[in-house]
Amino acid sequence: MEGRGIRRLVTVVTGFLGSGKTTLLGKVLSEPSMANTAVLVNEFGEVGLDHHLLRRVDERTVLLGSGCVCCTTREDLVGALLELLGLDERGEIPRLDRVVIETTGLADPAPILYTIFTDPVLQHHFSVDLVLTTVDAVNGDLHLDRNHESLKQAAAADKIVVTKTDIAEPSTVQSLLSRLATINPSARILEAAFGEVAVDELLSPGDARAPTGPELILPGPDDLHDVGDTHSVSVTFDRPIDWTAFGIWFSMLLHARGEDVLRVKGFLDVGGAGPVVLNGMQHIIHPPEHLDGWPDEDRRSRIIFITKRIHPEELLASLERFRELLGARPVPLGTEHSVSLP
Amino acid sequence: MWMALGVLLLRLRSYSMCVLCGQDFVAQVHWTDRHVEDRARASGPGNDPVEYQRDRRRDRGNRTALTNEVLRHYGLRVEDWGGSKYVFRDRKGRTELVQHLGALWPAAAKLAGRTPDPLDPDLFEALSGAHRDHGG
Repeated sequence: MEGRGIRRLVTVVTGFLGSGKTTLLGKVLSEPSMANTAVLVNEFGEVGLDHHLLRRVDERTVLLGSGCVCCTTREDLVGALLELLGLDERGEIPRLDRVVIETTGLADPAPILYTIFTDPVLQHHFSVDLVLTTVDAVNGDLHLDRNHESLKQAAAADKIVVTKTDIAEPSTVQSLLSRLATINPSARILEAAFGEVAVDELLSPGDARAPTGPELILPGPDDLHDVGDTHSVSVTFDRPIDWTAFGIWFSMLLHARGEDVLRVKGFLDVGGAGPVVLNGMQHIIHPPEHLDGWPDEDRRSRIIFITKRIHPEELLASLERFRELLGARPVPLGTEHSVSLP
Repeated sequence: MWMALGVLLLRLRSYSMCVLCGQDFVAQVHWTDRHVEDRARASGPGNDPVEYQRDRRRDRGNRTALTNEVLRHYGLRVEDWGGSKYVFRDRKGRTELVQHLGALWPAAAKLAGRTPDPLDPDLFEALSGAHRDHGG
């Protein structure tokens, strides 16, 4: 029941209206390696998708009593995923390896993760491996300026696919790439001119849970950290931290300011043989994995916070004040560091 | 039989990842409790339920001690309640039962009349005072 090996992977594809989600999906699904992939879409759209395991779901949400929007159960997804699971377990479809969920343009991907993490059945049979966000090179800047959902989608991404780079001005593309890297330094950014993207590169490795990741040059302390009221800061610690104390600090932070914590991702050295993989967005935390070993030679904690309205200085000051409980002092990472994130 | 029961309990537990909602779902394991469950699972079906309980008690003891360092600022105290829940007490003697850290902060906010915020400079002062008291 609990083995990671038999959990079907779930890939969430999100992106603003017209940003090329369906075109990207069409390309991905045409690959022979995707034959055992099911697809859940909210609408069929103008670009026809031809796939034997295509299902349309009508978004039905159940908002929990707290009023927290990210902690919303998507009943439609529960039903669709349970149906796929039943078909797979009864052998009525070829083996199901992966489910791709395409969100609507305005969707916040957090409720999809919440649904899979909390459903008593789904959590044992599915795991979210990747959030892919498409951003249109022509209109991406405008969407990021005007729509908070677009910003959340960029922050939530493990990989960002910048589409329509073939019809945008090169300077516009460069400016957008730079802005996206600033909003979400932990995401791998891929360009997809003419809808073409390397599917292998798109889907693996560097997924949300795997202990390997792209090499990342983090922005320095004085530049590129802030985009409007969105900030990011990368932190390490001078020694292993107390995981229980970190859980107290972080759960307290998420309760008080979770909607402003757009993304948290990283490795934490808790004194074990390997790190803890931390990955969350808003109030939703992936089940933290305690790895048996480090993925590379860098054995430092390294964690990135992408926040809205919370300044990096505030986070660092808070961690500094909690240092006695944490058992370690926080150290901001700067330009001289090149680190891998999960 | 105890061993079988231990394995059964591990399988029945589900994970909740929302720290805001803190809803009291049946047999819920919060993300902050996950490592204890993982250690038990890693030892396989033949895991020793006594060792699992000992590990869990140790972890909960450490958690209540550390949490109380923070809660002191809000006039609250938390204790382990039979190894299954935590009980909150304020200075007026009011109590509240919670399942895990996710539910702890909403309960603390209710009893304290304000939301505990780790970014609050007043809390920083209190923590500094606590460290001085402990010779930190």
